[in-house]
Amino acid sequence: MQKNKLVFITLIVLFFQILFVESLTINTIRPDFLVLFIIYTTIINGRLVGIIMAFIVGLISDFSGVGSYFGLSPLSLSITAYLSGFLYLKYERLLPYVFHSIWVITILLHFYIISYFRFQTVYLSDKTEFILIWLMSFGYTLIFFIIMQYFFPLREASHVKISK
Amino acid sequence: MRSLYLVLLKYKDHFVFFLAVILSLSFLLRNDSPNIYLIRGKFSDFFSFINYPISWVKNMSQLQHETQLLREKNIQLSLQLESFLVDHEENKRLKELLNYRRESSLELLPAKIINMGSSSNISSFTLDVGLNNGVRVNQAVLVPQGIVGKTLIVGNTSTIVQSINDVNFRLSVRIYPSGATGILRYLVNDICEIRELQKNANVNVGDKVLSSGFSTIYPENLPVGEVTQILDERGSFQKVARIKMGANISSILSAFVILGELDAKK
Repeated sequence: MQKNKLVFITLIVLFFQILFVESLTINTIRPDFLVLFIIYTTIINGRLVGIIMAFIVGLISDFSGVGSYFGLSPLSLSITAYLSGFLYLKYERLLPYVFHSIWVITILLHFYIISYFRFQTVYLSDKTEFILIWLMSFGYTLIFFIIMQYFFPLREASHVKISK
Repeated sequence: MRSLYLVLLKYKDHFVFFLAVILSLSFLLRNDSPNIYLIRGKFSDFFSFINYPISWVKNMSQLQHETQLLREKNIQLSLQLESFLVDHEENKRLKELLNYRRESSLELLPAKIINMGSSSNISSFTLDVGLNNGVRVNQAVLVPQGIVGKTLIVGNTSTIVQSINDVNFRLSVRIYPSGATGILRYLVNDICEIRELQKNANVNVGDKVLSSGFSTIYPENLPVGEVTQILDERGSFQKVARIKMGANISSILSAFVILGELDAKK
């Protein structure tokens, strides 16, 4: 049952990322809902499931169309899942700022890997511009991540019993 | 053997991560493999099938606005046409007098953009034409404002185009009126860099940039953009020009594929 639910949600996220994310494009930069999905999946289901899902989802994402660097999405998403795995069942054991810092740094690293490969020329010619592109890509996805916190906070995702 | 199995079981997530990284890296390093191209071509057809209804809705919603623009353009062009017809006749007559060899005209195939990939930065787009329409790998793709890419993976009914803003895209260009040639690559925000320009080349801001024709993919004199900045460092043996691309990649809805094969200039 749990497996079916995960497959169903994965298909919805992939469907949304492939078909509708284009309408959210700002100056060739688009939000990456896949990284958001992978972090949630890892925090809910653990590192192993997270890495497997990250690899499959990344591969499908690259199959849907990428100019060069086919295989970059599974690589960066697998790393994201691996690092997010440190947060599995850890909300109560870690200080909140440490917990939140880890997922923020993880997303930051994901976008660094993507930007480093895709904007090598900018990296070599203008470091400031490169950092700007990296932070803009990161910031745009982070906005959606923050919005997501209102509907389904990471605290709840990490199986914390919320006292009322 | 059992202890190895237990170790694998204990560290299965690390093991799976290692496997995922190895597989991803092998894909990254085998980007040009024919097998990878074949699989990507098949998937491209599948995704184009899924994308078709969405692209149809999007095109329909843009249709009214586009029709209005086309009407305005039509009137402007009709007015221009009259004078061009006169010029054309005169040009033809003069060419005949000079025994000038007629230039081959390009065979263009119109195509709709049905998908722009799902990665966080656009580096490719998918066209709704493929092998069935005569498209082959390494054919130029352009819009009226200029070159936007080349065909990379061709399926039966769809084609993945490596767009001009992909990190591995290079184009041999010529700057007019000086005639200086260089290699163009994308930088950021529709700005490209032309490298390998001769130090003494007379390049100015506002100069037009066209394809040089030193290619089997891109015919000569296809528009690319306009020079916006010249970087001439004292210590460097070459000059670098920055140009603003004519086409805006993120907002294109349709494009043309140049069919047929070209002979590279020597």
